[in-house]
Amino acid sequence: MKSVKTFVLWAAVAIVGAVSFGALALGRGESVNAVWLVTAALSVYCIAYRFYSKFIAERVLRLDDSRETPAVRHNDGLDYVPTNKWVLYGHHFAAIAGAGPLVGPVLAAQLGFLPGTLWILAGVVAAGAVQDFIVLFASVRRDGKSLGEMIKMELGPIPGSLALVGVLAIMIIILAVLALVVVKALTSSPWGLFTIAATIPIALLMGIYMHVIRPGRVSEASVFGVALLLGSIVLGRTVAADPTWGPVFTLSGTQLAWTLIVYGAVAASLPVWLMLAPRDYLSTFLKIGTIVALAIGIYAVAPALRMPATTRFIDGTGPVFSGPLFPFLFITIACGAVSGFHALISSGTTPKMIEKESHMRFIGFGGMLAESFVAVMALTAACVLEPGIYFVMNAPAAIIGSTAADAAHVISSWGFTITPEMIQQTASDIGEKTILSRAGGAPTLAVGMAQILGSALGGKTMEAFWYHFAILFEALFILTAVDAGTRVGRFMIQDMLGHVYKPLGDTKLLPANFLATGLCVAMWGYFLYQGVVDPLGGINTLWQLFGVGNQMLAGIALLLCTSVLVKMKRERYVWVTLVPTVWLLITTLTAGVEKIFHSDPRIGFLALAHKFNTAAAQGTILAPAKSLAEMRRVAFNNTLDAVVCAFFVLLVLAMCVFAFKICLQALRKAQPTAHEIPPAGVARTLA
Amino acid sequence: MISNADKSAVEPGAWRSRLKERIRAARQGYRQVFGIPDYERYVAHRAAHHPGEPVLSPCDFHRAAIERKYGQGGGQRCC
Repeated sequence: MKSVKTFVLWAAVAIVGAVSFGALALGRGESVNAVWLVTAALSVYCIAYRFYSKFIAERVLRLDDSRETPAVRHNDGLDYVPTNKWVLYGHHFAAIAGAGPLVGPVLAAQLGFLPGTLWILAGVVAAGAVQDFIVLFASVRRDGKSLGEMIKMELGPIPGSLALVGVLAIMIIILAVLALVVVKALTSSPWGLFTIAATIPIALLMGIYMHVIRPGRVSEASVFGVALLLGSIVLGRTVAADPTWGPVFTLSGTQLAWTLIVYGAVAASLPVWLMLAPRDYLSTFLKIGTIVALAIGIYAVAPALRMPATTRFIDGTGPVFSGPLFPFLFITIACGAVSGFHALISSGTTPKMIEKESHMRFIGFGGMLAESFVAVMALTAACVLEPGIYFVMNAPAAIIGSTAADAAHVISSWGFTITPEMIQQTASDIGEKTILSRAGGAPTLAVGMAQILGSALGGKTMEAFWYHFAILFEALFILTAVDAGTRVGRFMIQDMLGHVYKPLGDTKLLPANFLATGLCVAMWGYFLYQGVVDPLGGINTLWQLFGVGNQMLAGIALLLCTSVLVKMKRERYVWVTLVPTVWLLITTLTAGVEKIFHSDPRIGFLALAHKFNTAAAQGTILAPAKSLAEMRRVAFNNTLDAVVCAFFVLLVLAMCVFAFKICLQALRKAQPTAHEIPPAGVARTLA
Repeated sequence: MISNADKSAVEPGAWRSRLKERIRAARQGYRQVFGIPDYERYVAHRAAHHPGEPVLSPCDFHRAAIERKYGQGGGQRCC
């Protein structure tokens, strides 16, 4: 009886999914409702979770609840604690969900809603969720070891060290691109800047409250923190309109870049309880709340997708990011489909809190499905906008000019009809002077969210409030990431410097701390500044560099998973990780090589460097450079980007060789050779 | 919560402690989502496994928890 019920239930889910996809695919000529898109995604998640993750859990990994997890083995009531699986799900989700799944899909919306949706769904089921799940599994079976340590254990010390350098490089790029998203959102936006600036004193107040006045009272502090934040959004409008304070909070891109660099250095040097921890609580609070509100909003408002299923820009001529659908879609949407950074989180605190092995399916696989759902909603929010508005906000000034009239003219010529009045109206609806060239995802998503939440709650009059709320929500966790990331980078740098000169590795030594913090901030600050003055708008360069790096890291993590499966003598099922590994390697290596060597200066770093060098040699000055020195700098920066990109490509190729050798060795052995902790009762031989 | 109220008809007074326990569990769960370990469980753990040894005060416990989570390069958030 039960099996009949189950069959009927899953047949119903499959039918709902099929109908939703049908509506998406067949809605030619008229706009499709966003509800179909979200429902199609949810059906895919349910089916993938019920069948594929079960297959992986039972057949491939053979999760075994009789094995002790690290949380049980080392239970100390502090870090190693067997945790309720729902609670741990929330904790894990809060740790993996950041700005990534919000930005990538918005940029990819220039191709239409279909390519991004299909990649997010196929990517998460075949690659992203599998990676998170198996890395978590590998870490739990290795006493909660980190990704770097596991690579060292299973692939050898050289790949282990290489992976760590790679992680540091990717982190620098991530910090730069996240900071750039904030700069793009806040340039000449006094209202936005005021609310973001207000988070600093609010976080300090919360920090003091939780540390000195009522230690550990997170809920109390978060509630008054959120209340103050909402208050600061309301106050922001008055401040922005004020004749003396308005100009104080109106900063240019380069001014903001410097502000963020100084902020990063100071914030990462403060005690963690003072600003980092309280703001992290605030952002977790807002993150979960806003995502739930957005999901409810989409179903309640049921907006139509105004963006077509595919646009003409799949040929690679798009203004938001350049390059054709293959391979650039697959590096533009990283988080949400598959993100290498998750491999670090899945081998961080989560494996130390897993109560039973069987919980990993829900937390590892299921957690990533939730992140993917966030990406689908971000894509939806971008696609419910008028396409003309979307392109106004995301195309660089070099292409659409810097006035509403020019922008309307250029974008209408692409076939997306828009008038200068519509552009002005949208800007004034959200309480901003201009919406031109606000690339980076956050502002577009904010306008989309403002329209959805505005229709649900408060109407037109509340749109400006919701817009600034959405900007605040994103900037909040980006700033937390900048702060935490700078600290992580500092420790990694100190760890490396310690090998060169011992005292530099001493994390208690203040000068060594400052040196490492300074180095870390200087590195991401350099890329940030370069992004702000970039002729193609910065995001075009940095987001793709980040995408290449992040997907390379995913490739490395999946290579580790593949090696682990082979070493466990589960080679029968190796396709589970091998197929996504191969796909990631094909797309990212193609993208990486094209980013370096492509002859079109809009795509290839070296081609752009060459273009600026040649022009400079002839004494011509190309916009936006204003002098020959600036021309040389643009050329140098692009050469540097090419070097970083080449580093990622070589790194992943080296990892392939190491993993291949290890797998061949393991295949020749008759016994499993993975370095797992054996089940209780078996003699422990772990080195 | 409704089921608790129903049971109160059978065993008066019991629902109050059950409800209390539920609320406590919900609060601790919610705090753990934010990454704050459960103090009471820590105390229980110390009593069970390290009897007679000193136990951190709630204030020190929470301060140490924040330091361990975010200090030493922790508190990593994804992109």
